[in-house]
Amino acid sequence: MIEINQLSHQFVLGKKGQQSRLDVLKNISLHVAQGGIVSIVGRSGSGKSTLLNLISGFIRPTEGEIVILDEKVSEFTEEEFAEFRLKNMGFIFQSFQLIPSMTAYENIELPLILKGMSEQARKQMTLEMMKTVGLENFKDHYPSELSGGQQQRVSIARALVLEPPLILADEPTGSLDSETEADLLAFIKKLNKERGITFVIITHDDEVAKIGDRTIEIADGELVRNGVFA
Amino acid sequence: MKLKDQFRFIRQNMKKNKMRVFMTILASAMSVAFLIVLASVAFGLHDTVIKDTIESPEVTQIEVAGKDAGNGNAESLTNQNITEIEALEGVNAVTRAKQVKQETRYVTDGYEIYSQTFQSHFPSMKNAGIELKEGSFPETKDEVAVGYHFALNLMKDDVDPEEVEYGEDGQLLPEYRFTGDIIGQTFDLEFKRMEDGEEITETVPVTVTGVLEQPGREWYWDQNVYITDEKLAELEGITGTSKAMLTDPGEAEEDTGYDTATVYADDLEAVKSVMTSLEDQGYYVYSIVSEMGQINTLFNIAKAGLIFIGTIAILIASIGIFNTMTMAVTERAPDIGIMKAIGASPKVIKRIFLLESTYIGLIGAIIGIAVSYIISIGVNLALPMILETVFEEELPAGLQFSSIPFTLVLIAVVICLGVTMLSGLRPAKRATEIDVLKAMRREV
Ligand SMILES: Nc1ncnc2c1ncn2[C@@H]1O[C@H](COP(=O)(O)OP(=O)(O)OP(=O)(O)O)[C@@H](O)[C@H]1O
Ligand SMILES: [Mg+2]
Repeated sequence: MIEINQLSHQFVLGKKGQQSRLDVLKNISLHVAQGGIVSIVGRSGSGKSTLLNLISGFIRPTEGEIVILDEKVSEFTEEEFAEFRLKNMGFIFQSFQLIPSMTAYENIELPLILKGMSEQARKQMTLEMMKTVGLENFKDHYPSELSGGQQQRVSIARALVLEPPLILADEPTGSLDSETEADLLAFIKKLNKERGITFVIITHDDEVAKIGDRTIEIADGELVRNGVFA
Repeated sequence: MKLKDQFRFIRQNMKKNKMRVFMTILASAMSVAFLIVLASVAFGLHDTVIKDTIESPEVTQIEVAGKDAGNGNAESLTNQNITEIEALEGVNAVTRAKQVKQETRYVTDGYEIYSQTFQSHFPSMKNAGIELKEGSFPETKDEVAVGYHFALNLMKDDVDPEEVEYGEDGQLLPEYRFTGDIIGQTFDLEFKRMEDGEEITETVPVTVTGVLEQPGREWYWDQNVYITDEKLAELEGITGTSKAMLTDPGEAEEDTGYDTATVYADDLEAVKSVMTSLEDQGYYVYSIVSEMGQINTLFNIAKAGLIFIGTIAILIASIGIFNTMTMAVTERAPDIGIMKAIGASPKVIKRIFLLESTYIGLIGAIIGIAVSYIISIGVNLALPMILETVFEEELPAGLQFSSIPFTLVLIAVVICLGVTMLSGLRPAKRATEIDVLKAMRREV
């Protein structure tokens, strides 16, 4: 599913003329199999989000290559990456990232609109997805009118509505209480089992890390553990 | 992403800041209206002038001043020239006249008038469609036609010409002039001949059979007398000189050419070709159609200039659009970032913003066009009334100050859309360059 070869990333810091370079990821090689749940753990500032952002194409690697679903995404143009993301990736963010001026329904519908689907197909898929996440009664609520857990469910629905084979989540439970967190984890497990969706989840939380069939640990930009969680 | 959905997006976005969008549309509508109304004056006046020219009876007339004698000098036209011209394709008639080369006086009991005398070819006048105000064209030797102003200036011979009074219309008051029926009136044509250096006065009789119509130009004064060729021959026989010139017969030069000749073309289309063939044959010609080219150039320059000034107004309005779009992009940066993260392509994002600025420009243009038509109609109704009351003078009928042809609308729309698209380009490009991570951290 994901194939990472000798990936390094540097951030350029400071003002022009007096710039310094910060090595955030150092020579990382990694393979993620299809249908698994991989959790990434590590101390704050170790480079977890950077790795996920590189996989997502939000930033481009300084060195090395990333291959997803047999496509060398690290060499994609912006345009190609956008299309690839829409088709193959779903995102769940810690802070949900819903569009505040759109209702729950409209937020979930957004990927379908971007895909250019007909209004009828959109309606059916969106409503079905809302039912799946248990939000069928919150169609016309704006994000500001939903609880944190409900917002996270909207964002999951949005990530899932196009049924992508890969879902990337950066601390998805960070803003949730432990009960809601448990619900979410159960839901992720179910999706993984029933639909075969691959998950890559960054987390600080051991509970979350436990649902993964494999945990990767990053320390100071280097892979220190790359194996099955014991 | 479907175009329909893109438009839905645009409308939603525009609703978010109605006041700002409204002001921007207002500015572009005003600038478009400014351009159209400004340029419509040049279009309106041009139309009026062209219509005036095309509808005037003179439009099918070509004046022939003479023919190139081969050495650069002009020769007056001979009967043979006239026959040649009459044979040309598209020529309806050729009227021509010879002027009697001395002052002539016409006297009837109690009245007199000094007039120019011309020999005319009446059949060709008839063919040319020249109509008489009353009476008929002369047919026999002693019959004459007179100009429209002849009778109006036929003065009583016992009044002092220094003391006569004129009415408001600029004509002699009736108490000083002839008021009877001029048709059938018989006159003595008084002229002179030279004999051994002495001037001797001669008279021959003439009878008025027709009065010409008032000349097309209001300022044109026609109190001439038009005689037949036989009559001219009679005068020439008495003076012994051509065109009855007042010189000793022995010293007189031979001069039998026509002083004026006017070609009447079949219609407006024929004028050009007749002009060309006449010019090719060395005739000196003039027609108001030949002036039309210059008029057109002049007005086209004026139109281009006014459109240019209007374009500046649109450019100024485009600053508003640029501003609005830049602010819209800034305000929506977090949303754009999220959309990009989900998989909106930069191309689509750019297109949405370009469409939005174009949409604003288009609505502005449509409102501007509607307003322009209203202003144009208002100007055409009100301005003549205002001018007439201020200057107390009647304006020529059919005068159009402002006219908005479809081409002008098209030009304005193209300029407006072009400018608004250009001003939306930079903000749209900025939207595509928004960094997903920064936007999601609300850092933009
Ligand atoms: N845009 C950036 N520019 C410069 N440095 C950055 C940037 N983003 C991250 N960094 C730096 O890269 C390092 C890794 O950051 P990253 O966000 O990947 O950490 P993380 O493992 O996700 O931490 P956390 O668990 O706190 O989210 C940090 O030292 C951070 O300061
Ligand atoms: Mg992080």
